[in-house]
Amino acid sequence: MKRIIALTLVGIMTALTAAAGDITVVFVPKLTGNAFFESANDGAQAYAAKHGFTVKYDGSAEAAVANQVTVINNAIQQGMDAICVSSLDVTGLDDVMRSAMDAGLAVTTWDSDVSGDARTVMVSQGTPDILGKMLVDMGAKSLTSRGKDPKKDAIKYAWHYSQSTVTDQNSWQVAGEAYIRDNYPNWVNIAPSNYYSEQDAEKAISVGESVLTAHPDIDLIICNDSTALPGQCQAAQNLGKTAKDVTITGFAAPNSIKDYCRAGVIERWGLWDCQVQGALGCYLAYYLASGNTITVGDKIDVPEIGVVEVLPNTVLDPDAYTAPDSGVVLLPERTEFTKENMDKYNF
Amino acid sequence: MGELKRIVPLRELTSVGFVVAIFLLVGMVNPNFLSAQNIMLCLNGSVVFIMLSVGIAFVIISGEIDVSVGATLGLAATVSATMIRDDMPWSLAVAAAVLVGLMVGLLNGVGVVAFKVPSIIMTLGTNGIVRGLCYVYSSGKWVENLPFGYKSLSQATLTGRPGSISWFFFATAVVTLLVYIYQTHTNRGRHFYAVGDNEGGATLIGIPVGRTRIIAFVLCGVFASLAGLMYVSRIGFVTPVAGMGYEMKAIAACVLGGVSLSGGIGSVIGAAMGAIIMASIGRILVFMQFSSNYDNTITGILLITIVVADALLQRRAAERARRTLLTAKTAITPEEGLP
Amino acid sequence: MKGWAKYLVRWEVFLLLLLLAEILVFGHLNPRFLRPRVLLGSINDFTSICVVSLFVTFVLVTGGMDIQAGAIVGLASIGMGLLWKDCGLDIWTAAAIAIVAGGLCGMLSGFFVAYTGVQPMVVTLGGSFLYSGIAIAVTHLSSTESYKGISGFPRAFTAFSKYRFWGIIPSQMFIFIALLVVSYIILHRTRYGRAVFLCGVNPAAAEFCGINTRRVIMSTYVLSGASAAVAGIILTSYLGTAKADFGKELTLPIITAVVLGGTSNLGGRGGVIGTALAALVIGVMRFGLSMNGVTTQYHDIPVGVLLIVAVGCRTFMDNPSLARLVRRGWLAKT
Repeated sequence: MKRIIALTLVGIMTALTAAAGDITVVFVPKLTGNAFFESANDGAQAYAAKHGFTVKYDGSAEAAVANQVTVINNAIQQGMDAICVSSLDVTGLDDVMRSAMDAGLAVTTWDSDVSGDARTVMVSQGTPDILGKMLVDMGAKSLTSRGKDPKKDAIKYAWHYSQSTVTDQNSWQVAGEAYIRDNYPNWVNIAPSNYYSEQDAEKAISVGESVLTAHPDIDLIICNDSTALPGQCQAAQNLGKTAKDVTITGFAAPNSIKDYCRAGVIERWGLWDCQVQGALGCYLAYYLASGNTITVGDKIDVPEIGVVEVLPNTVLDPDAYTAPDSGVVLLPERTEFTKENMDKYNF
Repeated sequence: MGELKRIVPLRELTSVGFVVAIFLLVGMVNPNFLSAQNIMLCLNGSVVFIMLSVGIAFVIISGEIDVSVGATLGLAATVSATMIRDDMPWSLAVAAAVLVGLMVGLLNGVGVVAFKVPSIIMTLGTNGIVRGLCYVYSSGKWVENLPFGYKSLSQATLTGRPGSISWFFFATAVVTLLVYIYQTHTNRGRHFYAVGDNEGGATLIGIPVGRTRIIAFVLCGVFASLAGLMYVSRIGFVTPVAGMGYEMKAIAACVLGGVSLSGGIGSVIGAAMGAIIMASIGRILVFMQFSSNYDNTITGILLITIVVADALLQRRAAERARRTLLTAKTAITPEEGLP
Repeated sequence: MKGWAKYLVRWEVFLLLLLLAEILVFGHLNPRFLRPRVLLGSINDFTSICVVSLFVTFVLVTGGMDIQAGAIVGLASIGMGLLWKDCGLDIWTAAAIAIVAGGLCGMLSGFFVAYTGVQPMVVTLGGSFLYSGIAIAVTHLSSTESYKGISGFPRAFTAFSKYRFWGIIPSQMFIFIALLVVSYIILHRTRYGRAVFLCGVNPAAAEFCGINTRRVIMSTYVLSGASAAVAGIILTSYLGTAKADFGKELTLPIITAVVLGGTSNLGGRGGVIGTALAALVIGVMRFGLSMNGVTTQYHDIPVGVLLIVAVGCRTFMDNPSLARLVRRGWLAKT
């Protein structure tokens, strides 16, 4: 009996163990099975294969801080060389990331950061202010192109994303709200506490449909979540609404939205090239693990991606930790997708 | 037996009553909710949950439990969506999905019946395995860019215009009715109740208990895979976590509809009504215009209130039935007027 | 009664052997796994499952079901953080209040289960929505924005869960052992514990023995709620931050540990030793798989297989007539 279990385990493990390279970077997403993180992993894997290091993608199917801590602890105990993490919480991973640094691992973050002294470098797609503004601007552009005047009209709008507890989507929403208050004072938020669909595709559609029927005169829905955006588009399609009736915009990988754009349900949406981001995060982790050091002000030549500059943490947050051994790389550029350019992207 | 007959239709009426009452209540707060279009949306949007709940009702009525339906839905959806995306014939994709459900159901059934693994352990185990297989099969990626033709199936309506009853809902309703008739008016169908109500008694009168339970699990798996097929068409993309947590919602739907977790009591009509409530809660919250910060709080209060109210109503009905029975037996005064 | 005790002992011995086998196999595959600091340290990552499952065992022994404990973990965490940060309470007082609050949450659901006869699975599903909802609502009372979580706790508080005795044995292991002893004494050595079992075996008989079954059933939910709050406190200390959504991923792992430990969800059978061993078996297995390069998203497959195979073998061993039945071809006539 025990032998059978043992043999089964050995079998499973040999089947699933990643091929060993010289330096292994553990690439930790917030959760697995999400289009955004899977694309980033694709980018990282392809890049690593070309440049001679190994990326091990390891995360839990459920977005829970405790699970991320487990994954990182396991990476330390396994004796991995580096970790590159998208953190679920601004401070919850600090201790474990510090203990990883103490254990000699190279520690970088991407997409979502931890405290500045708990990692060496962060590959950031931009500050909440930049991303919040981008969301609102995409909405305003689409509103203009269907004959509204975002500056004067009382635009009725709402936010629809995953949950009130996730870090970055909420920080974009807060920044976006502030931007709207300053620049479009006439706009009316019909649901100041937002709509949440908990990354459940079925719920995204039912919430989406209900928003459109409960508020038939809504002008703009901003979906800063990669499940909420396709769900909201599908809801509009189910109700026979197009981009001429209601403006939908948000952040999602292009592949999941292309069909809706072709069908005229949505005009523009955005994201950054998460494949480059994943690759860059892992490369920097590899770079550190190979014995290099990074100090603020350095310019690093990253093969294929180009020269990147390490900026002080204060570019993200004025109160951040300022020591020369901890910095930020501002890349990748954010992209707006429309009918014209979307077929250039495949992720 | 007469008492039983009187209670059973009452049971379905209460669950229909709950749905109507909730809809009216929300309609009072926001009349938009009762617009024909929105009611159609609520009904059309509940097909996935109805299918899951009808399937799981087989298992619960026969006295077992199945917490693997969410993962089964996910795997069936992943497998069929991949095939549809790769331009395989749809019939093959449907067959593959049904096969997935069948295999998972068979595994559960055999484990529970032949190896006597308690059903909650068995299905917790298969839940983990099947969900893991979703990741293996899809390598964790979304299945997207499905052909428009398959997606449009879910939007086809009886009248051909958007905003009326969809074919999916129609088919689901017909299936539910057929299952109801099968379970209540055929000998084979009544076996599920007999097994769930009194296993020993069922064995004594020659009902194949094991086989009935296996069939219940298989049907549950197959219904979950059909739900998966509808899910693919409705959503248009499949994530590896598709259906995660749906098992609890489907079980709750059954209980809301009066299906007892101790087996032998309830019907699929009730389960379907419960499923409509579960699928509509998210919509109701949008229409009630409470702050979303209270979404979960209200969902919880709603669930507990309904089941508690239902339990109290049932207890009163049972008390009354008992009292009528007693008075009839002792024949002191003919209190037949008691409802 | 004797046969039952024998049965339980056998199952626990089996789990213990399974645990040792796991350690040997994984240690063989990756010797780092056997370093005491590494192996013992792994418990830090699943203490919450261990702690809560001990007391959820009580609920299942009465024939109940508890899927709300995960939500109470989050509520306790954020509630404690709020009391400390916004009400200025001492952190330990806040923690004590969180435990009481967790018990009260359990009591509410327990009340509905015990006094209205509603299906516990659905009441606690409702409870899981309710308490996670309250946790989110509570967050909005705080001056800190809800998505950020509350952090900056005193060092003494964040350090207690990370301390290692003699540099090796993590303090969380002692917490677990202490709670195991407490729960063992309550369930297996007191009148109350016998009442809990009797409620699961035969509530009517329990009533005749003068046991207030409703109160006993309700009390088991109070215990599981309070233990969930304890887990919330440990998690808050360990992660250094308080958040409303902590613990939401624990529901199925907790139930899995309890049922693998030999407690029947139909009531009347089981024990905390089995639960504790099962929680360790699963936790060590996940850790061992990780140590040998299996990524987290695939862990559910081997754990699921283990669950089914282990329990399947148990019933097979226990029941020689079953083997005969199979030979006769059960499908034909059962």
